[in-house]
Amino acid sequence: MPELRKDPVLGRWIIIAEERGKRPTDFIIAESPTTGGFCPLCPGNESTTPQEVLAYGRQTGQGANTPGWKVRVVPNKYPALVIEGELDRQGEGLYDKMNGIGAHEVIIESPRHDDVFADLPPEQMLLVFKSFRDRIFDLEKDDRFRYVLVFKNFGKAAGASLEHSHSQLVALPILPRKIFSEMEGAISYYNYKERCVYCDIIRQEIQQEVRVVCQNEHFITITPFAPRTPFEMWILPKEHNSAYHHENDSKLVSLTEIFSESLCRLDACIPNVPYNFVLHTQPLRSDPLKHYHYHFEIVPKLTSIAGFEWGSGFYINPMPPEKASAYLRESLERLS
Amino acid sequence: MKKILIVDDEEGIQILYQEEFELEGYKVVSALTGEEALVKFDAEKPDLVILDIQMPGINGIEVLRQMKSKNPQLPVILSSAFNEYKQDLGAWASDDYIVKSADMTALKEAVNKHLKK
Repeated sequence: MPELRKDPVLGRWIIIAEERGKRPTDFIIAESPTTGGFCPLCPGNESTTPQEVLAYGRQTGQGANTPGWKVRVVPNKYPALVIEGELDRQGEGLYDKMNGIGAHEVIIESPRHDDVFADLPPEQMLLVFKSFRDRIFDLEKDDRFRYVLVFKNFGKAAGASLEHSHSQLVALPILPRKIFSEMEGAISYYNYKERCVYCDIIRQEIQQEVRVVCQNEHFITITPFAPRTPFEMWILPKEHNSAYHHENDSKLVSLTEIFSESLCRLDACIPNVPYNFVLHTQPLRSDPLKHYHYHFEIVPKLTSIAGFEWGSGFYINPMPPEKASAYLRESLERLS
Repeated sequence: MKKILIVDDEEGIQILYQEEFELEGYKVVSALTGEEALVKFDAEKPDLVILDIQMPGINGIEVLRQMKSKNPQLPVILSSAFNEYKQDLGAWASDDYIVKSADMTALKEAVNKHLKK
């Protein structure tokens, strides 16, 4: 029988409608052929992008916007929100509006066109995680912005339109509704129990060992109790921390290890699976929050969103997270 | 005389652009599909391309990628009815992105800027 499950933070309901005998191999994804051709993100084509805002890896003396970088961050050439101007918040009757101020940046994760994020060498992936941290730090100085959302689309089905490995961030003058709902849910839990809901999730998952995919000294990857899609994973720091950009380098090394392992396990279960990942962290210029816990959500693109999901907000997931985590735990062992 | 290649699957748009840019003093050649555009790109050696995105067959982003592989310096202006294609990072290879409008001022300014009229 299908089961309704409630997300303990958001209060969102999902339906686990297990299809009997569904295995990871049933989700096999066709490999997209590489199309090649001109790539604006490749070294040597720096002039086709806007001026970089951050780059790691160049030797001293090499100029900005030249080859030699390992990770490069540039503003979006055709941004949906613009960086210059004032917000000019206005009310029009009961409707609120403001100017479309924001920052939209692209993090070019490697100089090599064919690199895949999950397979990046640890030192390269570490630079990507450092770039997320350093850009949030920098954008926090701009008091027009309230939130920075970091995300990645991998594969065409997940919205990636360029083969060259990249992630993106958008700095927003408002707190996104989803983050607001997470904060509300976390505060409500904290007010009732005086504990962080995410810390309690981690404690229970470690104790039960049912939905744990992998863990190291500082981080844990779980399949959440009420996942939206098959093989959805959350990566959380074990020690309470609401602000990603307050993490030190050694923690980011640990994060790199678990991120790489989690994505490799996912790929071993379903090769080339398209996915999105998002970083949910505290709002900009917030003091550390006792009730909130930063985390990454990795959401494979394996199911479609249709009328029922749009209308109800319910997701239908054919793979219980307990089975997904078992497959993910065994995946690398099967390969070796 | 500078030559512009106009790629758009709508004949009405082609005729409109052709008339406007010929009046501006340019020679105009046109293509109705991405495939035809790539053939004419090689044969006609244009000085600038105005390229629609949503077309049957090869779409404009793919045409752009192939044209820029052959000639990275050639100015290519994407001209689409849809603003949201700006979010496609493949559009970054272009030199300008203009949303189609009955008022052709922005497109003319972009063409003149890239051809340094």
